[in-house]
Amino acid sequence: MTTDEEIIARTDEIKARGKSPARVAPDPVNVPMIRHWAEAIGDTNPRWAPGPDTEAPPAMAQVWTMYGLNPERMPGDPLPDTMQVLDDAGFTSVLGTNCDQTYARTLRPGEAPSISTYLADVVGPKKTGVGEGWFITTKSVWTVGDEQVATMTFRVLKFKPGTGRPAVDRTKTLRPVVNRDTEFFWAGTAAGELRIQSCNACGELRHPPGPVCPVCHAMDRGYVVASGRGVVHSFLVHHAPAVPGKRLPLTLALVELAEGVRMVGEVDGDVAIGDAVEVWFDRIDDDLTLVKWRPAGAPAPEAEPEVESDLPVWELPITPTLVVSTALATRDFQDVHHDRDRSIGHGSKDIFINILSTTGLVQRYVTDWAGPQTQILSCALRLGAPAHPYDTLRFTGTIVSEADGVTTLDVRADVSIGTHANARLEIRR
Amino acid sequence: MTFSGAASIAGIGATEFSKESGRSELQLSAEATLSALADAGLSASDVDGLVTFTMDTSSEIALARELGMGELRFFSRINYGGGAACATVQQAAMAVATGMADVVVAYRGFNERSGQRFGQVSLGAATQVNTNGLDNAWTYPHGLSTPAATVAMQARRYMHEYGATSADFGAVAVADRKHAATNPAAFFHDKPITLEDHQNSRMIADPLRLLDCCQESDGAVAIVVTSTERARDLRAGAVPIVAAAQGSGADQFVMTSYFRDDLGIPEIGVVGRDLWRQSGLTPADIQTAVLYDHFTPYVLMQLEELGFCGRGEAKDFIADGAIELGGRLPLNTHGGQLGEAYIHGMNGIAEAVRQLRGASVNQVDGVEHVLVTAGTGVPTSGLVLGR
Repeated sequence: MTTDEEIIARTDEIKARGKSPARVAPDPVNVPMIRHWAEAIGDTNPRWAPGPDTEAPPAMAQVWTMYGLNPERMPGDPLPDTMQVLDDAGFTSVLGTNCDQTYARTLRPGEAPSISTYLADVVGPKKTGVGEGWFITTKSVWTVGDEQVATMTFRVLKFKPGTGRPAVDRTKTLRPVVNRDTEFFWAGTAAGELRIQSCNACGELRHPPGPVCPVCHAMDRGYVVASGRGVVHSFLVHHAPAVPGKRLPLTLALVELAEGVRMVGEVDGDVAIGDAVEVWFDRIDDDLTLVKWRPAGAPAPEAEPEVESDLPVWELPITPTLVVSTALATRDFQDVHHDRDRSIGHGSKDIFINILSTTGLVQRYVTDWAGPQTQILSCALRLGAPAHPYDTLRFTGTIVSEADGVTTLDVRADVSIGTHANARLEIRR
Repeated sequence: MTFSGAASIAGIGATEFSKESGRSELQLSAEATLSALADAGLSASDVDGLVTFTMDTSSEIALARELGMGELRFFSRINYGGGAACATVQQAAMAVATGMADVVVAYRGFNERSGQRFGQVSLGAATQVNTNGLDNAWTYPHGLSTPAATVAMQARRYMHEYGATSADFGAVAVADRKHAATNPAAFFHDKPITLEDHQNSRMIADPLRLLDCCQESDGAVAIVVTSTERARDLRAGAVPIVAAAQGSGADQFVMTSYFRDDLGIPEIGVVGRDLWRQSGLTPADIQTAVLYDHFTPYVLMQLEELGFCGRGEAKDFIADGAIELGGRLPLNTHGGQLGEAYIHGMNGIAEAVRQLRGASVNQVDGVEHVLVTAGTGVPTSGLVLGR
């Protein structure tokens, strides 16, 4: 196994090589690839449409020089060489984390850009959410002839699979078995009510509920809505083993409600027996809302702040077709973007959208709002949670500043488990 | 008709106890049954009744087929996990005492470590479409979904009410492992622990540490029951079943009886009262006991429910080696389920038989009566065996 020092030594050698020789795009900028890209991204900007004045979208800058399906690596290309060093050291998985691009102008069909890249930085080992790894930063320029047309700072994380904090997928929370005797309770949690079964004959309150009043045997029952206040009767902190949908350690309490019945639930924060707690409702998804507890008087758990958006909110359902078609239209043939089995094998939950397509979707969002003639000057993108099929991308955007004809925008793309991408763009309208 | 003493244990048998048996669960049960029949000096064709746990994956008829038992006149299953252990012998003894069967084998075999592990979260338990599944809806979706966690909730309240500490729970683990250390059949043979080891073991479900939790094991145990009269003439002699009882508390749930006024395990109190009633004995008549030790706190709580000491006094009762060999009431002399193996309590019944035969590796002097319990926190059972 390669040591940290050996990784640094070998990558220092790659750094010392400086800029790679220019590598020319395998195909010149061409109308069919632009049309495929625009279809996959769903970008209807007329400037990309076939015709005498077709332009290439700026977000395609990297597409032209992608290696393709069966690449023959150019000797001296620093990124594949650096990746190899880390592969040898066991950091075999890769994740794009940042893509900062600037665009001097759009490209035209027939132009054949060349790319030259140097290794800027290798930093590690770092503990990250996905695992222990190294951040590799490369800097590239694209030229047509002697003219620099675009630049890119690209950062990937090479990490050891299986060394990260296991991702918690809340939707894996075990589902309650519900029947006609208990459905009122779960309907209550969904409505933000903590319901306790009451006997319509004798008034006895009861939890867990059932079809018959054990006191008077009446089967005529209703419910009362609890005050939501209680006291910790007992609790535990679960450390092992893993529990589907839960982050560990997990504090679970037996809460004695003011109304006299007891319930089990998760508590936020440290508790002791006798502590006063109050209820809150944690919506897991459309089918399940759980009753949870927090110390009485504690601030409400930070609700996701409603994002203020200067741009109209755009919601894009993610389909497998979107993921696969955009990956192929950006000439990215990594299996994690089209092969679900292989993607799961790499530790992912499904295929996911590639970074080039996220760049394309962000720029489409901005130009759909700012108008087709908008010139994108730069786009600095930071990736977060993966965007998987059957989720929804929700784009919001805020204007940061406007000066000298340049508008600076922050765009955020959220998925159900968090923020997929943050981007700062400079545009000229 | 008198039940007490009418039926006896005539044979005990087991496989080795391991973490990976390499055989099917049915094969394990067949091996243990043959071993128990050989111990009794009986053959498979003598068996006309079989009893096991509802949870067991090998049916009575499957076992009968494997061993060429022919016709069965009695077969039965007991529910509620480890709470079934002593009740399988109770069922067998009732069948023998009432003439429903002549020779009944109670068996339990599983690959509980290399196959389905009970210590993990069970999706099946959470999603079963019956009242147990409905009961679990109040705990599993919140993440309260392992046996250790369900007991931890009880243990914390017990500590709060009576001042017991983690070190008091540790005394049970130390005693079990001390006994296992001298038992060649135990998985933890020759591996005693200190209280410091216990206190340094990692938290599983705070306040429960790793060494408060029983093992997960592969293996099988079988117990042969026949009339005391017949057993006296058999190869290994008779170990009479002096008392046998089941018990379920008021407002009982499976592992999560959190909604009754007092938490705790009153279900084993139900068992205890009936064992003393049937036998005419008291705790003072018991020289050694096998108390079901899936989790250490429940051993303390059992001592109180069974009347060995008052409520909240178990931490004092067990102090200073009282439950170790040579102490006032040696417990789990085979090493218990923390030390020998977790065979759902059936290996503890076998140890009680060895104590009464004078054949335990950790023999207690002057043994006349041994108390055995099954899993608590669930509807449970118990036995008093004699000589």
